[in-house]
Amino acid sequence: MRAKKTYICLAALIPFLLVALLYEILPLIMVMINSFQPDQGSGFTLGNYTTVFTKLIYQKAIINSIKISVTSAVIGILIAFIGAKAVDDCRGRMSYFFTTVLNMVSNFAGVPLAFAYMILLGNAGWMVHVGQRLGLEGLANYNLYTSGGMSLIYVYFQIPLATLLLIPAFDGIRKEWQEANALLGGSGVGFWWHVGLPVLMPSIMGTFSVLFANALAAYATVYALMMNNISLLPIQIAGSYVGEIQIRKGLGGALSVVMMILMVCMILITNRISRIYEPTSRKRGECA
Amino acid sequence: MAYIKFEKIIKNFGDTKVLKGIDLEIEQGELVTLLGPSGCGKSTLLRCLAGLEEVTSGKIYLDGTDITDMAPRARGIGMVFQQYSLFPNMSVEENIAFGLKQKKVPREEQMTKVNRMLEIVGLDKQRKHYPAELSGGQQQRAALARALVTEPKVLLLDEPLSAIDAKLRKSLQLEIRKIQRELGITAVFVTHDQDEAMVMSDRVHLMNEGRIEQSDDPETMYARPVSHFAASFIGNYNLLTDKQFLAMTGIGISAGEAAIRPEVIHITEKEQLRDDAYYCFSGVLTGSVPHGNITRYEFDCAAIPVHVDCLANEPKHYTMGAEYGLRVKKEDCRML
Amino acid sequence: MRKGSKNSPHKGILPSIVIMIYLLIPLVVTVIYSLFRKWTDIVPEGFSLGAYGELFANQEFVQSIGRSVLLCIVPIAITVGIILLAMFATTLYFPGLEKYVQMICMIPYTIQGVILSVSILSLYVSSKTFLSNRLVMLFGAYSVIIMPYIYQGIRNGMRTIHVETLIDAAQMLGCTKLYAFFRIIVPNIISSVIASSLLAVGIIFGDYVLIRNLAGTSYQNMQIFLYQTMKSDSIKASAVFVVIMCITFLIAAVTLYMNRREKNRK
Repeated sequence: MRAKKTYICLAALIPFLLVALLYEILPLIMVMINSFQPDQGSGFTLGNYTTVFTKLIYQKAIINSIKISVTSAVIGILIAFIGAKAVDDCRGRMSYFFTTVLNMVSNFAGVPLAFAYMILLGNAGWMVHVGQRLGLEGLANYNLYTSGGMSLIYVYFQIPLATLLLIPAFDGIRKEWQEANALLGGSGVGFWWHVGLPVLMPSIMGTFSVLFANALAAYATVYALMMNNISLLPIQIAGSYVGEIQIRKGLGGALSVVMMILMVCMILITNRISRIYEPTSRKRGECA
Repeated sequence: MAYIKFEKIIKNFGDTKVLKGIDLEIEQGELVTLLGPSGCGKSTLLRCLAGLEEVTSGKIYLDGTDITDMAPRARGIGMVFQQYSLFPNMSVEENIAFGLKQKKVPREEQMTKVNRMLEIVGLDKQRKHYPAELSGGQQQRAALARALVTEPKVLLLDEPLSAIDAKLRKSLQLEIRKIQRELGITAVFVTHDQDEAMVMSDRVHLMNEGRIEQSDDPETMYARPVSHFAASFIGNYNLLTDKQFLAMTGIGISAGEAAIRPEVIHITEKEQLRDDAYYCFSGVLTGSVPHGNITRYEFDCAAIPVHVDCLANEPKHYTMGAEYGLRVKKEDCRML
Repeated sequence: MRKGSKNSPHKGILPSIVIMIYLLIPLVVTVIYSLFRKWTDIVPEGFSLGAYGELFANQEFVQSIGRSVLLCIVPIAITVGIILLAMFATTLYFPGLEKYVQMICMIPYTIQGVILSVSILSLYVSSKTFLSNRLVMLFGAYSVIIMPYIYQGIRNGMRTIHVETLIDAAQMLGCTKLYAFFRIIVPNIISSVIASSLLAVGIIFGDYVLIRNLAGTSYQNMQIFLYQTMKSDSIKASAVFVVIMCITFLIAAVTLYMNRREKNRK
């Protein structure tokens, strides 16, 4: 009798499953199905994928997206490494203030960020004026409206996120190791190369895949600057569904699937790399 | 009919048989202990009585009513848990009043009852405190007050003192016992600590692997274990197989095993008088460990280790490595 | 230098300051921009709060704030509610299902806004039922996109208390499990729920992708309003920017405060 009552409690899962089904699972399945169907009519086709991989505009979108995501993630991590190490070095008020700023700025992305950069580095931006006055060619001729010019914005939104993700990892580097290294006559650079980096590697890889996904999916920032006039995956995906000319579900589906595969691939690659560094740490854990 | 009655209780968790047919009766006003090593099913049995676990088969009666299929809240049972059972977001007072609120007891009556319980458990000063601000002992007092305030038919205590340090534990044991006697409440206490069981209970039910091994009052339980398990779990019995016993004393026994408490063995001179009332043997002193009021000596008797407890204030001094005579009254030897 | 530097508290200050300057420059410049009538040279001219006055007199802008608030409250309420119910069922009755709930909650983390929005749109846009309502789609999409954060928050909160014991104790004192869960467990994890909800507020508030793809410009929230304005009047847009920035920072500050308080309590 009481067992029956237990099953009534399964009902508590229904609202959750309903929302997940309607707005997460079904849409995902539809995207995949769409990608194998022609834009008009029904039936099975690989045509959408052929289009994606043969038409120059889509090839470019994929390559551009990967390029800007990898570049911004790498630069972001390099700067974040310095930032996180700085927080680790100076505990107390300064690091408190710094992490507060990081937390604040990490929420700052999308349209407002694009707008701020227009004011700063757009065609009539303040820095451009400054560059012209001071005769700094690089600033005076800065062109924000190219994928190269935009990568500065990508780097900008990667830094706070990357730093916040890396800070906890530095707690794993024990001060005693550094002291032992110094006592044994090792150099600071040597310590970081042989001990610090390998220990941090799993965190760095994890952060890298988050940053990559973050950049790959960035849409608002780009759209606010360029509308649909740039070849990047998210722009092409949105364009094919909410297009001004015609809706191309199949193509959009195929592009979406490609983007998801890219993300999953990056997760797998970074996992693989961090596993190279992990056996040692796992062994250490078992001994403890 | 007994106040609480378990009838052929079987409880399985998946394929694991936790309770293998428990029959048990508890009288009104008694404090009984379910004693046993971890995993023996004592807590599960208690939780079945509380209604927090469903029995696989069997019946449980409380005060003449079949409560087997009743929801826990309808059983009229109070319970104190191991730890962390106080509601962290409520003060001591609110925690204690919680059960009364659920029963829709009028406000003034709630206040009087809560005040009385606070006084009984001695937490009057901490009434506005939150659980995180209390020591472990205070938390358990509050939990006890919370369980008692609704005047339950039975009070269940599931290892309530296991997380409390030894010294405080002793005083809380006595205190719980005192409160139980004053209120005349029936209580079932679960513990793995045999000393705790001895100190607190009217009756001890020793459990092992899902069965009741022995049910007796504490004195009998201590003096007359009925099985190898009981003897090895209670006291610090020297357990000797018939072969070891023969090797030591030269006397054969019909039982498979002899259990000898360490404090009934007497140390004598190496050459001792033969006496028919005693089993006599000898051993080499290999170690001694002071345990406060007693000292535990370790002897090697024909390659069999034997423990002997002596009161620490005995003036005798024994030499390490020397051989001594040992003897024990035949009636103090428990044949299993 | 090597040995001494480790103990020096000043070592990390320089990089911290450089990074902070880099991060704060665009904000500061835009704030200054919003406060002056003209800035075509190195130094701006004509201090004025006119842009702000105009902005708050604008009915559309005030409405867009209201819409942003509504868009935050409804999906967060939905997600917190459904995840709490699901957690009630999994922790107390079906522990085996917990990992599936977790999986479903973490998937949105990898799909991200673009794909989610276009797929929801293409699925329901031609539906004849309420599902084709743009606002319903938007609520659904936001509810899903914030799932990972809300789930983590609730899970972390539950990790700090002894859920099973508390539920047992409440039952012995006369509660049903359902009552015990919502009146004992939920109040005890409420600060984690609030902290993660604030995180979700930040995410929804900063969103442009979902609302643009699902509602177009028909449902103007603050982000859309900014986008529309920045095409016509950049000083006014910079004032909108400052308002958005202030709200975002306020949310972030409260979130950070809550998180630090949580950490200190442990």
